[in-house]
Amino acid sequence: MSPGLRRYIAIRVLLTIPMLLILVSVVFLILRVLPGDPALAVLREGASQEQIDAFRASLGLDKSLPEQYVEFISGVIRFDFGESMTRDRLVIDDIKTFLPATIELALYSMIVIAAVGIFSGAYAAQHRKSAADYSIRIISIILYSIPIFFLGIIFQMSFGAGLGWLPVFGRLSSGMSPPNSITGLYTIDALLMGNIPLFLDALRHLILPSLTLGLILGGIFTRLTRANMLEVLEQDFITAGRARGIRERVLVYRHGLRNAFIPIVTILGLQFATLLAGAILTETTFSWPGLGRLVVDRIFDRDFTVVQASILFFAVLVASISLVVDILYGFIDPRIRY
Amino acid sequence: MQSKETLYEIKDLVVEYHTRYGVVNAVDHVSFDIYRGEVLGLVGESGCGKSTLGKALMRMIEAPGEIAAGELILNGVDLLGLTPKEMRDVRGSQISMIFQDPMTSLNPVQRIQDHLTETISTHEPDAEKPTMLQRVKRLIERLGIQTQRLDDYPHQLSGGMRQRVMIGLGLVLNANLIIADEATTSLDVIVEAKLADQLMEIKEEFGISILAITHNIALVAQLADRLAVMYAGRIVEIGSVYEVFDDPKHPYTRGLLQSVPSIKLDDHEDLYKMAGEPPDLTNPPSGCRFHPRCPEAMPICSQEKPTLQEISPGRSVHCWLYEDHPEKEPLVSENS
Amino acid sequence: MKSPDSKQSTPISTKPILEEDIGLLRRFFRGRIWYGTEWYITVVGGLILFFITIMTISAPWISPHDPNEFVGAPFVAPGGGPQILISLTDEQEIIDTMQISNLVIGVHRNRSGDKYADTIGAEKIRYQSQNELIAGLEAGEINYILIDEDLEEELQFQIPSMMVIARDLGLRFPLGTDNLGRDMVSRIIWGARTVLSVAILSALLSSSIGVTLGLISGFVSGPLDRVISLVMDSIYSFPGLLLAIAMVAMLGPGMINVAVAVSVIYIPTFFRVVRGQVLSIKEELYVEAARSLGAKARSILWSYIFPNVIPSIVVVFSINIADAILTEAGLSFIGLGLPPDIPDWGYDLSKGHSFLVAGHWWLITYPGFMITLVATGFTLLGEGLSEILNPRLVKN
Repeated sequence: MSPGLRRYIAIRVLLTIPMLLILVSVVFLILRVLPGDPALAVLREGASQEQIDAFRASLGLDKSLPEQYVEFISGVIRFDFGESMTRDRLVIDDIKTFLPATIELALYSMIVIAAVGIFSGAYAAQHRKSAADYSIRIISIILYSIPIFFLGIIFQMSFGAGLGWLPVFGRLSSGMSPPNSITGLYTIDALLMGNIPLFLDALRHLILPSLTLGLILGGIFTRLTRANMLEVLEQDFITAGRARGIRERVLVYRHGLRNAFIPIVTILGLQFATLLAGAILTETTFSWPGLGRLVVDRIFDRDFTVVQASILFFAVLVASISLVVDILYGFIDPRIRY
Repeated sequence: MQSKETLYEIKDLVVEYHTRYGVVNAVDHVSFDIYRGEVLGLVGESGCGKSTLGKALMRMIEAPGEIAAGELILNGVDLLGLTPKEMRDVRGSQISMIFQDPMTSLNPVQRIQDHLTETISTHEPDAEKPTMLQRVKRLIERLGIQTQRLDDYPHQLSGGMRQRVMIGLGLVLNANLIIADEATTSLDVIVEAKLADQLMEIKEEFGISILAITHNIALVAQLADRLAVMYAGRIVEIGSVYEVFDDPKHPYTRGLLQSVPSIKLDDHEDLYKMAGEPPDLTNPPSGCRFHPRCPEAMPICSQEKPTLQEISPGRSVHCWLYEDHPEKEPLVSENS
Repeated sequence: MKSPDSKQSTPISTKPILEEDIGLLRRFFRGRIWYGTEWYITVVGGLILFFITIMTISAPWISPHDPNEFVGAPFVAPGGGPQILISLTDEQEIIDTMQISNLVIGVHRNRSGDKYADTIGAEKIRYQSQNELIAGLEAGEINYILIDEDLEEELQFQIPSMMVIARDLGLRFPLGTDNLGRDMVSRIIWGARTVLSVAILSALLSSSIGVTLGLISGFVSGPLDRVISLVMDSIYSFPGLLLAIAMVAMLGPGMINVAVAVSVIYIPTFFRVVRGQVLSIKEELYVEAARSLGAKARSILWSYIFPNVIPSIVVVFSINIADAILTEAGLSFIGLGLPPDIPDWGYDLSKGHSFLVAGHWWLITYPGFMITLVATGFTLLGEGLSEILNPRLVKN
């Protein structure tokens, strides 16, 4: 690894820290500063003043804002998120249970998005202004306009209930027990255990949710890929390559795509936040036991501490992916490497 | 020293662009020849169609443009009759092109070595890696670049080096003709001079022909054997470089040569500007396209289009001053 | 230097080469020739929105019923509703509703017949199932029964001796009714108002804050710009829906709260676009010139920069509305949307999900389709406007 690259990575990692700090602070602001008393939100009407006071004290809400902030940050650093308010568990345990499911869903959805987006985007760019190009563009607009849960429901009805091909709920069929938790991703853990039937079962359960999430976000991604590819294909080195007799297909898919890849990877990273937002809805539709579902369930339970920590982890996920993308960038763009 | 054998015959070439504003007649019935082993300079103002002509010679005109008519006979074969695949074979191996900006003409994520070997393997699919590498190394050395640079990416090379790589790409398959489209415009003067020297060396050693498309007249004076002047899609004058510089026939050529600033330290000399502006090619002037700006325009100039007449061996002009026409009136003398 | 004899030469064409010189309206009408299919796309988007707008505005007149009123029986299938009156004994056709209301009629509990009997004030005997209802008729427990008109043929086959003595009784529901018996057509029509109001309101909020901040931040630069940009970037990188969920959870339900929550998500988008534009416009010479002439910052912003930023704002606005609609639907789906007394497509979608298992597909299909349609319309419009308002120079 060249010194230039090493320095680049180091800078990126360092920059992530203030970014995380800001995200954490934003979470703090939303939950503490907004109008609306969390105590009332949790305890509902009819709670006695003592109960409210006790509750606020337990959350540290009776202290001044700066003090609260310090307490909050120190808790975060120690990974101490307190206890769930409605269940007898540590918040961190809940997070540990549900987070991997979301990561797994996000991972497979990313694969769908990348596959759909890159190839249809590149194809549309290559055959600009053709019928295929316009169809692809219109379909991707329509896809993105479909509410995620609506598409999910349609899939459930057709493939699940209707044709009975694919499972529509949960991560595993009843009767299957989850693999030993190494990564928390059922598919990978099952493979690591060598348990093929379990792997296949987990995979089958992943198909519909990741297809739903992937197709809809794939719509935006197609358009972005297309736009980037068009820019790249208009560049001089493509014309120069053509002047040397290189075939169109090689120009588009090897030269063009490899160059467009750089901004595309960045876009994938930026899309991740949208992906997570969509994951919340997908998890709700498919009863997928992930972090999004956790947030939604516990919000209605008024389980404040769990909700707070979950939102935090979403922010952390986004920041981590940004970091990974930035680092990846350093590897694939030779202008940074050397 | 030059053989007068014709390498490339261009006959009556017409290139049109179909835009929202109408049909732009970018190249209008252009005919000329390129001989083996010569440097032919093609000069003109921006927008006169010389770049379009250059691209057309490689059949690289893309929609909304098209080659509407003409013949392009390279080595006896009319390129316009070839299939796309055959044309692809021609590109790079028989004709090649060098572009204006060497930075953007090279693939930023591809190593120099790969640029060259890819060109070879596209045309010679059976070529083996070690042989290709040898050829490439030899070529690069000849161009004055150290072989270890082959592993580098384009952004690691200087501007002059990149342009030499481009020349290398043009030579790697022993093309007969290199079209240099504003190849030195983005380089600074000193580098430009070095590059011009190198091109001359290559021409001498390999016997290739070069079509130097440029608006830099001084460069053409140095490099070219013959000079073609283009205006508004038409070739208005063509001849050996000495003849054209010594005795420009076409009023436009005269104006062009006069506008070249010289480094004479004469305070009294103003910069010469030609009157008027290049025409809008969706609705070009009738007859001779230069007549609105021509100081010697005659009535016939706006009515009929002149032809490219050979007035002496190897010297042609596209102007009513040198051509007879029954309706031609003598020059109008100055009246009110 | 002799000048050319102008009387004998053709004038040099003065047709504009750059598209910027051509007026907006002329561009629009020439659009079909110039942009080809792109133009059609914009027009389609515009048409969809035109239709929706008409529907929204004329809701009080074109909506057949009140969207909150339980006008029909629950879960009436699309196209269903009307009942027929069957008897084994009576032979004459009854035309008068008054006469029917005097009869004692057997009805299927909680179905359209039940509802109709209530509407006309007839005395009714309720049966738990259709089979029991028919059995009752055959057994002579009851002389008249009401059933769905599409069951006529089936019943005719089952009981050849049956007579239809009245038809077309009760309301027809082209799109069916929901779980509380509310007419879907009305809910769709009135729902448009809700959805559009929330989306447009939130877009207005987002744009006013985002554009203002973008203008200031881009123009002023310096540390202020950096701080604001940092904050905006953080919000931008946050999963939008999550932000909205947190805010609605805190603020509580209600149309304004939802609009506010949704608007926060999109402030950074407006900010970024405007700021980027301001930065590039700032570099253009005439702003420099104005500044050097001592023009006040505010007037520079207003007269030079803002007009150039407007096209981008319009485009983002349109696409923002589409996003806002989808986000609001998402919130409703989770249960954090608007309260039940406001007709809303998102709400219908979320309610309908639970009844899908029972086979009542129409509760979610129509709202879902409408959301998709409107969101597509706004997006198409935005994309198309982007081409028209910011044309790329003709490459020649």
